[in-house]
Amino acid sequence: MMSVTYLEAIRLAQQRALAEDARVFIYGQDVGPFGGAFKATKNLAKEYPGRVLDSPISEDAMVGLAIGAAIEGLRPIVEMQFADFSTCGFNQIVNHAATLHYRTGVPCPLVIRLPSGGTPGSGPFHSQSMEAIYAHYPGLVVMTPATVEDVYTMLLEAVALDDPVIFCEHKFLYYHLKADKLPSEALPFGKARISRPGRDATVVAYSAMVHEALAAADELSHDGYDIEVVDLRTVRPLDTDTILASVARTGRLLVVGEAWPWGGVAAEVITRVAAEGFGLLDAPPQRLNARETPVPYHPALWGTHRPTASSVGNSLRQLLEL
Amino acid sequence: MTKESVSVPKSAGKLVAVDGTSREIARRAYRIMIEARLLEEKLAVLYRSGKIVGGVFLGRGQEALSVALGVHLRRGDIYAPLIRDQAGRLAFGDTILDTLRTYLGSSLGSMRGRDGNIHRGRPSEGYHAMISHLGAMVSTVCGALMAKRFRGEAGVVGATCIGEGGTSTGSFHEGMNMAAVEKLPIVVVVANNQYAYSTPNSRQFACVDLLVRAEAYGVTGHRAGGNDLMDCLKVMGEAVAAARAGKGPQLVVADILRLVGHGEHDDASYITQELKSSLLGRDCLELARTALLEKGWITEEEVFEWRLNVEKEVEETVSRVMREPVPDPAEEDWNAFASVGRNSSGEVE
Amino acid sequence: MFPTPDSMHLLPIIMPQLGESIAEATIVRAAFAVGDRVEADVDLLEVETNKAVMGVTSPCSGILKELTATIGESYAVGATLGYLEISEEDAERLGLNDLPPAPVEKPKKKKSAGSGASPSFKKTVEPTVSGLPVPAHAGGASFLSPRMKARMAELGLHAADLAGVAGSGAGGRVTIDDLERFLQDLERNTISPASSMRVAVADAMRRSWTRPLATVVLPIQLDALLAHRKQQVVKAGPALYALRALSIALSEMPATAGRLIGDRVIHPRSVDIGFAVEAEDGVLVPVIRHADQFPLTDLVERYNRLVELARARRLPGSDTGGSIATITNYGVFGLTMATPIPLPEQTLLLGMGIGRVTPSWNPTTKTFIPVTEAQFTLSFDHRVLDGGAAGRLLQRVSTLLNSPAEL
Repeated sequence: MMSVTYLEAIRLAQQRALAEDARVFIYGQDVGPFGGAFKATKNLAKEYPGRVLDSPISEDAMVGLAIGAAIEGLRPIVEMQFADFSTCGFNQIVNHAATLHYRTGVPCPLVIRLPSGGTPGSGPFHSQSMEAIYAHYPGLVVMTPATVEDVYTMLLEAVALDDPVIFCEHKFLYYHLKADKLPSEALPFGKARISRPGRDATVVAYSAMVHEALAAADELSHDGYDIEVVDLRTVRPLDTDTILASVARTGRLLVVGEAWPWGGVAAEVITRVAAEGFGLLDAPPQRLNARETPVPYHPALWGTHRPTASSVGNSLRQLLEL
Repeated sequence: MTKESVSVPKSAGKLVAVDGTSREIARRAYRIMIEARLLEEKLAVLYRSGKIVGGVFLGRGQEALSVALGVHLRRGDIYAPLIRDQAGRLAFGDTILDTLRTYLGSSLGSMRGRDGNIHRGRPSEGYHAMISHLGAMVSTVCGALMAKRFRGEAGVVGATCIGEGGTSTGSFHEGMNMAAVEKLPIVVVVANNQYAYSTPNSRQFACVDLLVRAEAYGVTGHRAGGNDLMDCLKVMGEAVAAARAGKGPQLVVADILRLVGHGEHDDASYITQELKSSLLGRDCLELARTALLEKGWITEEEVFEWRLNVEKEVEETVSRVMREPVPDPAEEDWNAFASVGRNSSGEVE
Repeated sequence: MFPTPDSMHLLPIIMPQLGESIAEATIVRAAFAVGDRVEADVDLLEVETNKAVMGVTSPCSGILKELTATIGESYAVGATLGYLEISEEDAERLGLNDLPPAPVEKPKKKKSAGSGASPSFKKTVEPTVSGLPVPAHAGGASFLSPRMKARMAELGLHAADLAGVAGSGAGGRVTIDDLERFLQDLERNTISPASSMRVAVADAMRRSWTRPLATVVLPIQLDALLAHRKQQVVKAGPALYALRALSIALSEMPATAGRLIGDRVIHPRSVDIGFAVEAEDGVLVPVIRHADQFPLTDLVERYNRLVELARARRLPGSDTGGSIATITNYGVFGLTMATPIPLPEQTLLLGMGIGRVTPSWNPTTKTFIPVTEAQFTLSFDHRVLDGGAAGRLLQRVSTLLNSPAEL
């Protein structure tokens, strides 16, 4: 039986984008004949000659080039080799791509793919989750797909959007997550999904943390707790309506993110719920994020640095007791 | 976006590729230099009388270099001017009206109040709107040229200008390197005006001559006499022609002196008297006038009339623009996205 | 690690992590057969990831004891592919003796829903749990969450309504579930709607009760009053006599009717006295304005008209509200004494019990003589005045009631 990994879904989405839209091209280090550091563009340079190009190690110029191409109406996909290196192109992303439409009225339809998140031993510069930093800038769409189906449909969506999209794909999920087949339908852009309906508490999560939350919910179900899990899918725009509806059902909120707590996605979700859904809360809203240090290298340290099913379960138990 | 189109003079389409020094081009270039100079003098006055919001950065002394690039560009080319390129902008099709609208904050300007002064542009017409971070525009022009190449548009040129200070940035380096790797038809003009704000060249770079970098990047280098209009026209003509002919990136380095403060808030007292009274310090407008008069390509009467007309046009445009509405925060939709609307709470998501 | 009796150790051969995000690899070839002696740092197996073919190296010399992996199959990173038998010395060198035994897989326990909290975590909440404004271990804490308050507001409930609800939440707080169950339970009783008058009075009494209230009692003889009344053509009721007496007393000591707001006593502006009239399902309080300025006879008509209006529920707004004290005659119900509650915006409530003939000791004749006496109560906000002042006020009322001509 054929199964599709998260990474293969990315590759297939890019293949389809190249096939269906002549405006699409892919630019990044090692994406050409080598097929990409993670093989996300395997064979695509051969299938679409001249449209999948190796770039020099120049993240600033890679994004600048994509912006110029987007001004002229193309739809570039820039692959950053690791999310952590996107900071070398930070200026072009947040000061140029994000502001272009607002300042000039000309849209900037580019996609920047960020292989994000930690794997054992990847260390401080190959593990970061940068969605909150980019989401802070108005003008950038930030996507954080958690499933094989979503990473496929949302990458296609990202290419079709007229806004610059920061596409945070999770490295750990690349080969660990598989699906039977690709979907033909998807949730509307910007909508969150109820991954697991529940009654006693809501866990809002995104990307790899959705799976930790689901595992924690499963564990708590043995003790009679029914936990609802909301998968944000996109961080910006943020689907406040679905989140509020969930908290209305359960009255208790835990937000989980792999990134650091300060000014993060969890903080944004909780602020909105506190401001717009104060009367729904039966207990103070809680968040669970990575420890406040750079991501450690050794797997023993890394194992407890970011939230896991176990730590999510502990936080939930505390929340349920309040 | 206003409905006004960039008016690229008809003569631009008829330019002969190789010889950049024809009488027609020189006359056009010189007239535009006058426009740029008089317009900027007016901007300085408006600034000092508190009519302009934000900073004002003028290109006095650099008009010849800037216009020489602009007159060799045509519709379909990409142009990303920087701070001291009022003359080049006018040559490429920017107008006195839109310039004043942007500086005086009229809501009818191309940037609609959302960005100002030298950040103006019309990207969909190939006229890029710079961001403040120096060096960033090089790769943007490259990207636009890549797109045209994908589309099979031949004979297109991209151009951008920068000061010697801007060449110290990482983004300049990345952009030049990428242009060379991709063999793009870009002309990069470095106006080495000896000072980046107050920083002299001795604190900016250590190589003897910036032109050496052309070889280091693997591109063709050209040297232009920055305040000599005829030399600039010749060199730019060659550089643009070479790019158009597929010879890859062209780096033009010109020595020049800024005849004005870094911004109108600055008095340039750090520029040495020695430089100011050297050959480098001579005013390109004066030099061009002398040169063209000698060649018999212009007459004193014409020049006088041109100046009068430009002054009149500038005055009238100022009055017109001062009566135009300023941006109204209540009318703005305050949304930075093209595809994202507002959620049920009314916030942009 | 399974120590064998002959001092040999079995070292598992583990699938290594062969690149970022690699999850598994396929066994391509075994370089050795089971039983072979191998040196340290040689490739035991060849495995293929999506990127390259790599080797799995032996960490130590020994004998290839077992190969549990199959050629051509994929195994996850960290999976055991086989075992190397190694010497005691090597085991010691590699620190294998101290390794804990492999964890036994726990079978998943399936508990039925609603079985309650499992004993594997603490039942009591640590006081350091953030967020609650009261220590979570304080029994009977009355914390109401925003959600509770929203629901109560929706239903028009106050904390007072929840007095009878036992809380099952942290620190004994009443949870949404407690509330909903309580409300559902109520449905099993007979329920009649409360009139708006009833609800208004309930609210007023609840608000009044937030203050420390006290009552003092004084028996007052009514004989002089009754004799005076008999001689009048236009007769005032006992309550009106009391009203006049109180108004004179208050004009002499207005601070006793003042209100305490923070650390300031707000004095009354004019001696407006209210009196309680029972209307359908509640009590109305008409007011005699400037009662201290009019003699008794001038007030009778006004008083009677107000009583009629009140009973008919047609009391105009201008004739109610703004009084500084109230009179209530619970004696009409046959009550001797009561501890009524002053209006929430007032400090004083003068109450009158039923007048009864009662023996009174006459020290001169050394006999008991019959007198008509009623218990008068003064209920007051104890923040504004103490028993002494209350007593003095009552005494003054008593003196005035015994000189009815001055009223």
